[in-house]
Order: sequence, then structure tokens, then C-alpha cells
Amino acid sequence: MTTLAIEGLSKTYADGTEALRDMHLFAHSGEIVALLGGSGCGKTTLLRLAAGLDEPSAGSIAIDGKAVTGTHAAISAVFQEPRLLPWLSVERNIGFGGRRIANGERRRRIDDLLQRTGLAGYGDRWPKDLSGGQQQRVAMARALIGRPGILLLDEPFSALDAFTRSSLHELVLALWQDLRPTILLVTHDVDEAVFLADRVIVMRPRPGRVHETMTITLPRPRNKLAAEHDITRRNVLRAIDRSLAGDRISATGGGAISPWV
Amino acid sequence: MRRALTGLIIPVIAGVAWEAAVRVGIGFSFGALAGTLLGMLTGASPLARRLLDPSVQALRAIPSIAWVPIFILWLGIFEMSKLALIALGVFFPIYLGTLSAIQDVDRKLIEVGRVFGLSRVGVMLRITWPAVLPTWIAALRSGLGLGFMFVVAAELMGASEGLGYLLVFGQQMGQADVILVAMIVFALLGKLSDALLVAVTAPLLRWQDTVRARL
Repeated sequence: MTTLAIEGLSKTYADGTEALRDMHLFAHSGEIVALLGGSGCGKTTLLRLAAGLDEPSAGSIAIDGKAVTGTHAAISAVFQEPRLLPWLSVERNIGFGGRRIANGERRRRIDDLLQRTGLAGYGDRWPKDLSGGQQQRVAMARALIGRPGILLLDEPFSALDAFTRSSLHELVLALWQDLRPTILLVTHDVDEAVFLADRVIVMRPRPGRVHETMTITLPRPRNKLAAEHDITRRNVLRAIDRSLAGDRISATGGGAISPWV
Repeated sequence: MRRALTGLIIPVIAGVAWEAAVRVGIGFSFGALAGTLLGMLTGASPLARRLLDPSVQALRAIPSIAWVPIFILWLGIFEMSKLALIALGVFFPIYLGTLSAIQDVDRKLIEVGRVFGLSRVGVMLRITWPAVLPTWIAALRSGLGLGFMFVVAAELMGASEGLGYLLVFGQQMGQADVILVAMIVFALLGKLSDALLVAVTAPLLRWQDTVRARL
């Protein structure tokens, strides 16, 4: 079981863009936290920092209370694009995520994951022979074969059609139920955040920062068609509206934002 | 009489063709190895690139034939200078191909390697190298083509034997047929060696989703 503690995390890029300002976040073990926001609100930046792909300008990241820098064996990720290695077969792509595992065990997990992702019989295909949804399933299997404590999802469903997206939501939840990784999900899809997350963090752009945090108390398994889902969804939409309010004032005010308006 | 000549000429042609093929083979091997290694070095290390690449590009600007006199002075009139010229000609396209292929590797795949715990060397071996293979093989093919160009250049200069020499010989004797035979042999050798290279490297590129893969 793995917790993720982010404290005072900031990132300013070399060109002066302040992508993320003073981010605080504590994700409990096995919790699904959704970071919701439009473009430029720093949600992908946060995920890249957590993955160890970029270095923060300030602040720290701790896994199970221990500060980490750079990539970490407990952290795994699925990106917006499948990012499969085109020269490896499907099963070797999955195995790539678990190179530290003993051969026999790895073989067993690959077969298990192929089965569960609905890709049984596709193990020796090339990535190019798979559809976008299937490729993203392989990416999911690759991220989970090593039983990561923390799974980072960077809009992994955004490029998929509604049917495929829905089935991948189910897949993520099924795998999460078994393996219980702590999940940090970046998304701009309100429905997705409400359906998957225990907590939704609404972010604001320029500079990217937290606007509001909402706990989603809907019982699992959740139903996207239930009335409660709709109510929660509307609450989140309201939070997003509030997060945009400041921008609107500045747009009509034609200059600095007055804090008392 | 004519029969006897034909009987004579075939072993002669076969002999010089073999000689040219061996020369290209050896020169190509050295040039390809050097080009690949240096291309990998400058591709992997920005410092090495800044230090070495400008000089290599400057050397590349020298017409390769201009090296012939200095090679003959330094390495003698015989085999070494010819091999050096071929290796030099092969070196540049392979160096350039390797370097630019490494620079063009998808950053997103490199990140996958890093997230899944590969070291710098691991990324190089397991991500960068397979990703540059297609371009590298294309560079090998153009390098091999240049190898044949330079074997002619090498044999034109100061040689008294070889397939390239046959061209000069044919011209001096006014025998177009000799020249044409030499040209046809070059065509066959070039096509054969290229087909061999493609066949040897084909298993490495099976994963590619390209038109070439279907041809």
C-alpha cells in the first residue's frame, strides 16, 4: 500500500511559463484522485513531476513518507497516447513494464493480463495491428504488470471514442479493485472524474493551481445513469464555473483582478 | 579465336569483379563501423556533438576524390589507399544517418523507458537503438552504393587491374564492349549486395508498418 504526498510543488519552465504553483496533495493508499481542469492548468505538469520525468522548481514529492526524486519503481504510468514500443510484440510490450519480475511469474502475469484486457490470442501481434482502444489496453497492462503502488493516468481515455472509453473505465476499475494502486488521474472529462474518482481536484490555469477539492461519496459500483451521479456531476460543473469566474472578471475588467470584486 | 577470347575473358571478369566486391566489403565494413560508432557518440552526447560534428561536417565538404593523392602518399599506391577511400566514402552517409536518426527518436518513447526504470544505457540499448534501426539500415544501403562508386574511383587512379581499370582500359583501347561489360558487372554487384543487405536486415524490421515492408 502506497501513499503519495506532494508538498508545495511548483514548476516554472525555462521560458518563464509558470505551469504549476504551490501544489499540495496527499493521496491515501488505494485512493483514486482525479485532477480536473482545462488546458494550461498544470495537471499534466503535476503528473510529469510525480513520474519523475521533469524536475520541480520547488517543493517535494514523497512516497510512503520518503522523499523521492526522479523516476521510481513504485510509480507507473499510462499516457494519452499508448506509447507502445512498435518493435516489440504485444506480450513483450506488456512484459516491458515488469522486467524485474522473474521469468515464470512474468509469463503468468502477461497471460493473466492478456485475458483480463480482452486481448487473449493477441500476444504475438505487433502494436500496429491493434486498434487504438486495444493499444491503450496493452499500455494499461504494461503499467500494471509490475503491481505499482502508484498509477499515473494522463488523460489515457481522451483520444478514444465513447464506447471504447466506457469499456476502458470498467477495465481500470476492475484492475484497481484487485491490485489497489493509488491512482492519480488527469482528465478534462467531468463524467469520467465523477465515475472513477474518490476525490476530484478542480484546477485553475495560468498559473496552474488548485481551485477546489471535492470528495465523491457515491458508492461503488457506480452507475453513470443514476440521479446521484447527475447531482454530483452538476456540483463539479459548478466548481468549474467558479474556477473560471476570476478569469471572466479579468477579461471584462481589462487588467488586474481586483480581489474585492 | 573468338571462342578462345570469350573463354579467357569470363575468368578475368569474374576475377576483377570478385576483387572489387572484396574491396567494397572490407572498406564498407570499416566505414560503416566508424560511421555508426561516431554517429552514436555524437547522437548520445551533446558535448561530443558540439566538439566533433562541426569538424566532421567540414571534412564531408571535401570532395572525396580530393583525398586520393594524400591517401596514396600516406598509405601507398596499393591496397590500403583504396580501402581507405572506400571506407571514407561509406563513412559519411552512415554517420549522418545514425546521428540524425538518434536525434529524431520519439521523446515520448524515451520517457516510457525512463518511467519503467531503464538507466541511460538501458534507454540507449532498448529504446534508441531499435528506434533508429530503420534509418540506420537505409543509411547502410546508401553507404554501400557509395562504396561501389568509390571502388571505381580507387581503381581508376593508378591501378593496373580491377573492374574500374577495365573501364579505363576499354576507353583507351576504343573497346566499348569492355566498358559495357564492366558497367553491367557493376550493376549486378551493386544490386546483389544491396539485396543481400536487405535480406539480412529484413527480420529486424518486421514490426514496421510501411509500404516498403510489403514490397
